[in-house]
Amino acid sequence: MIQLYHVSKHYGGRLALSDINLHIEKGDFVLLMGASGAGKTTLLKLLFGTERPDEGQILVQTRNVARLTSSEVPYLRRTMGFVFQDFRLLPKKNVFDNVAMPLLVQGASHHEIRRKALEALKSVGVEHRKESRPAMLSAGEQQRVCIARAIVNGPMVLLADEPTGNMDPQLAGEIIDLFKLINARGTTVVIATHNRQVVDQVKRRVVTLSQGKVISDEGAGR
Amino acid sequence: MKRTSYLVKEALANIRLNQTTTIVAVATTAFTMACFGVFLLLYLNLRGLTTSLQDDIKVVVYVTDGVSAQALADLMTRIKGDREVAGLVYVSKEQALAEFREQFPSESYLLQGLGENPLPASLLVTMAHPSRSSEAVRRWSERLKAMPGVAQVQYNREWIESVGGIVRYIEWVAIAVGTILAAASVTIIGSTTRLTLYARRQEIEIMRLIGATGTFIRIPYLIEGAILGALGGALSLSLLKLGFEFLKLRLGTQSHLLGGGVAFTFFSGQVSLLIVLTGFLLGSLGSFVSLLAFERVRA
Repeated sequence: MIQLYHVSKHYGGRLALSDINLHIEKGDFVLLMGASGAGKTTLLKLLFGTERPDEGQILVQTRNVARLTSSEVPYLRRTMGFVFQDFRLLPKKNVFDNVAMPLLVQGASHHEIRRKALEALKSVGVEHRKESRPAMLSAGEQQRVCIARAIVNGPMVLLADEPTGNMDPQLAGEIIDLFKLINARGTTVVIATHNRQVVDQVKRRVVTLSQGKVISDEGAGR
Repeated sequence: MKRTSYLVKEALANIRLNQTTTIVAVATTAFTMACFGVFLLLYLNLRGLTTSLQDDIKVVVYVTDGVSAQALADLMTRIKGDREVAGLVYVSKEQALAEFREQFPSESYLLQGLGENPLPASLLVTMAHPSRSSEAVRRWSERLKAMPGVAQVQYNREWIESVGGIVRYIEWVAIAVGTILAAASVTIIGSTTRLTLYARRQEIEIMRLIGATGTFIRIPYLIEGAILGALGGALSLSLLKLGFEFLKLRLGTQSHLLGGGVAFTFFSGQVSLLIVLTGFLLGSLGSFVSLLAFERVRA
C-alpha cells in the first residue's frame, strides 16, 4: 500500500528525514511517534504530496509520489484523506458543505454528494450540526467534521497529523475510537502523534522517529 | 450543488466579500473604459465624416472642345471600364453654363459679352473606394491625361491627402490610447483579484489539500474578473450615453459636424456589445495575470 525507499528530505541545510525505509500494508494502523521536529509531519507531507523528497522513492498504492507532476497531485489526494491538527475547515461554509467539498471537486452528482456527505457526518456523530458554521462547533466537533471530510471519498489511506493535539484525554479517546472504527472497515490509517495515550489505546504498530531517522518499528502485524 | 453552479456562486461570493474593492474596481474600470470610449466615439464619428467627405471626392475630366460624339463616347466607355471608377456623369457645355448661372446668378452677366459658351464639357468621375488614396488618384489622373479628347484633369489633391492623414493619425492615436487604457483596466482588475486571493489564501490552500485541481480553484476568480470587467464596460457605456445625450442637447438635436451633413451618432448595438465584451476579456485577463503571479509566489 505505502512503500518508502531511502527517502531523505532537507529544509535548507537542516535534515528533516534521513534514509527512511518503510513498508505499510493495506489495512495497517500505524502510529508515527517522536518528539517535535523528529520528522513525523514531514513524512506525512511526503505521503500526501505537499512536499517532495530530495532523495528516494515513495509509492502510495500504484503511484510514485516522488515523480508526480503538480497537476497529478490533486488526483493522488482524492484517493487519500488527511486529518489536520488545526482542522482546516472552510470557515464560510457550513459543516455539510465542508464535508461535501471533496466530492464536489471530483464532479460527483448532487444525489451522490448528499448521500455520502450525510453518511460520513453520521458515522462521526455530527449529523445534527450539518447546518452550523465551523466557528460554532467545539474542538471535538470540528475534528469530527474534519474526519468526516477525510473519509467521505472512501479513501484507501487516511493520514492524520496530531489529531488529538490540545484535546482532553476523554475527547482524544473518542477521536481515536473513530480512527479505529475507520481502520476496522479496511482503510489504512497512519497517525503522527506524540501522545502516549494514543499508543496505549490503539495497541498497533508504532514507528518511532528521532532526528529524521526511524529508531524503532514495533508491533508490525498486530 | 453542482460544480458549475458552485464555481459561479463562489465568484459571486468573492464579489460580495470584497464589496469596497469591487466597487472601486468597477468604477475605475468604467472610468478608464469611458476615457477610451470618448476617444472611440470621436474617432467613429470623424471616420463617418471623413468617409462621407471622401465619397464626395470627384475627379473632373474636362473634355477638349470640339471633340466628336464618337470620341467622347469612346472616352466615356474607357473611363467607365476602369476598375478605379465607381461612377461617371457627363456634364455638357450647356449644362455647365446652366449650373454656373444657377450658382452665380449675379455674375452671369460676365458670360453674356463672350457670345459663345466658354465653359467646357466635363466628365464628373467618382472614384471607387479602394482607389481614393491620393496616390491612386494621382496615378489614374496621369494615365487619363494621355487619352485623346481629354483637355485637363482636376482634383483636390491636398484635400484627399489631408483627409487620409487625419484618419490615419486618429487610428494610430486610438490604438496607442486604447492599449494604455486597456493595460490600466487589466492592472486594476488584477489588483482586485490579488486582494481576493490574499484574503482567501487559506481557503485556497484547503481546497488544494482536499484534491481540487488548479483549474477548479482558478475558475471562480476568472469569472469574478470577467464579471467586474463586463460591469465596468457596461457602466462606461452608460456614462458615455449620458455624456453623449447631454452634449447633443447642448448642441441641438440636429447638430452637424463642420456643416458636413453628418449627424453625431452613438455606438451601434454591435459596438456597445463589443465594449462590454472587451471589459469582460480585460477583466478575465487581469484575473489570469494575478493568478499566475499568485501561483508563482506559492511555488
